[in-house]
Amino acid sequence: MVHDDYREMIPASAVSALDAAETRVLNEHLENCTECRKELDDWQTTAAALAVAAEPIEPSPKVRERILNEIRNDSSASQVVPFRSNPRNFWTSLGSLGAIAAVVLFVVLIVGLIVLWRQNRAAQADLARANEFLQLVTTPGAKVAELKGTDVGAGATAKLVYDPNGRAMLVADKLPNVPQGKAYQLWFIVGNKPPLPGKTFVPDNAGKGVMKDQVPQPALDSAVFAVTLEPAGGSSAPTSAIYLRSGL
Amino acid sequence: MQPERAQDIHDIELLKSIAAKDDAALALLYDRYRIILFGLLMRILNNREEAEDVLQEAFLQVWRKAADFDENRGRPFTWLVTLARSRGIDRVRTLSARERLAKAGAREVSEEISDAASDAFKSEQRGLVTDALAQLPDEQKRPIMLAYFDGLTQSEIATRLGAPLGTVKTRMRTGLMKLREMLAGKDESFGF
Repeated sequence: MVHDDYREMIPASAVSALDAAETRVLNEHLENCTECRKELDDWQTTAAALAVAAEPIEPSPKVRERILNEIRNDSSASQVVPFRSNPRNFWTSLGSLGAIAAVVLFVVLIVGLIVLWRQNRAAQADLARANEFLQLVTTPGAKVAELKGTDVGAGATAKLVYDPNGRAMLVADKLPNVPQGKAYQLWFIVGNKPPLPGKTFVPDNAGKGVMKDQVPQPALDSAVFAVTLEPAGGSSAPTSAIYLRSGL
Repeated sequence: MQPERAQDIHDIELLKSIAAKDDAALALLYDRYRIILFGLLMRILNNREEAEDVLQEAFLQVWRKAADFDENRGRPFTWLVTLARSRGIDRVRTLSARERLAKAGAREVSEEISDAASDAFKSEQRGLVTDALAQLPDEQKRPIMLAYFDGLTQSEIATRLGAPLGTVKTRMRTGLMKLREMLAGKDESFGF
């Protein structure tokens, strides 16, 4: 294929109309072609405008609540800097060593409380996930698939539990850290057909990741489950080696 | 170089704050875009529960990936729509062909209803896009809508419409190029 052939594919790519093989070919070209990447960015602006053709609809207020609860449980929230006051003015205004010691003690106590509170929240979140996993695994007809690390994901393991309706939960451990802008993505492989994309997830620093997903109907009876490393937004077809797969 | 819109600058600052894990900034961004993104996801998924689930996933991804936003590559609105739509399309593609057909059928009925009721909603932005779409011949508009809102690939659209794949590709490309021309210079109006 020549450069113009790839350029012709870009408008369709912006509306996700390419099939898996075309997407893979174009993505490989985009990695090395600044001009086509720029063109895709421009076409995505046009494509985004189409979103307003959909009728605006108000979601339930519970969605906002769920998002904010989730991010407040996110361990990365610990990066927030809670105090923004000017330290020089603060110390100057105290005026005595005793007061400084009292304030230091107070701050230590508060920090300790915050740490305990966060640990408690994290433990509650872990417990909630464990309960959810347990509920799913005890659903009548539920299946559990064991995924093992391949050469690139050596040492990693995962379990995918799913019920007869396809409600699924993946629990992974010891996965390699993901580079910036990447995420792991689950795939459902049925026979010789192109893999069906699942959701993406980013594991914590220990390589642990938990994700809920929906097993597509064709994959409920017999499928291979695999995990690859993809761009953060996920891919419609795998673009990397398999890190985890079932049936190994 | 096109001047930046004040709203874009505000959104860029919000994304920077989100990247620094400021949850209040995420709440502001959510409040600004929830209606348009949820409308888009409802149009794709035609199911409130699934659309809310995907909307939640999309904003959790914004929380985790805000640092990846590159203002040199596009506007925050484009980034958000691309991210949310991508997750919506991924979700709809996990459905079996029969389920997707059923959803598309249900949507065609609801489209007729919502079109009849849409007089109540007149926004400049929506008007610009729907006017542009209305100017496209149906043979060009249909493949674009099937791809954008139903998540069908060109091969699937060719099967659905009973048209040769090459014809579908040409019509879609021609339609998209016309849309781009019609919307060129008007994207500044997309201020939400």
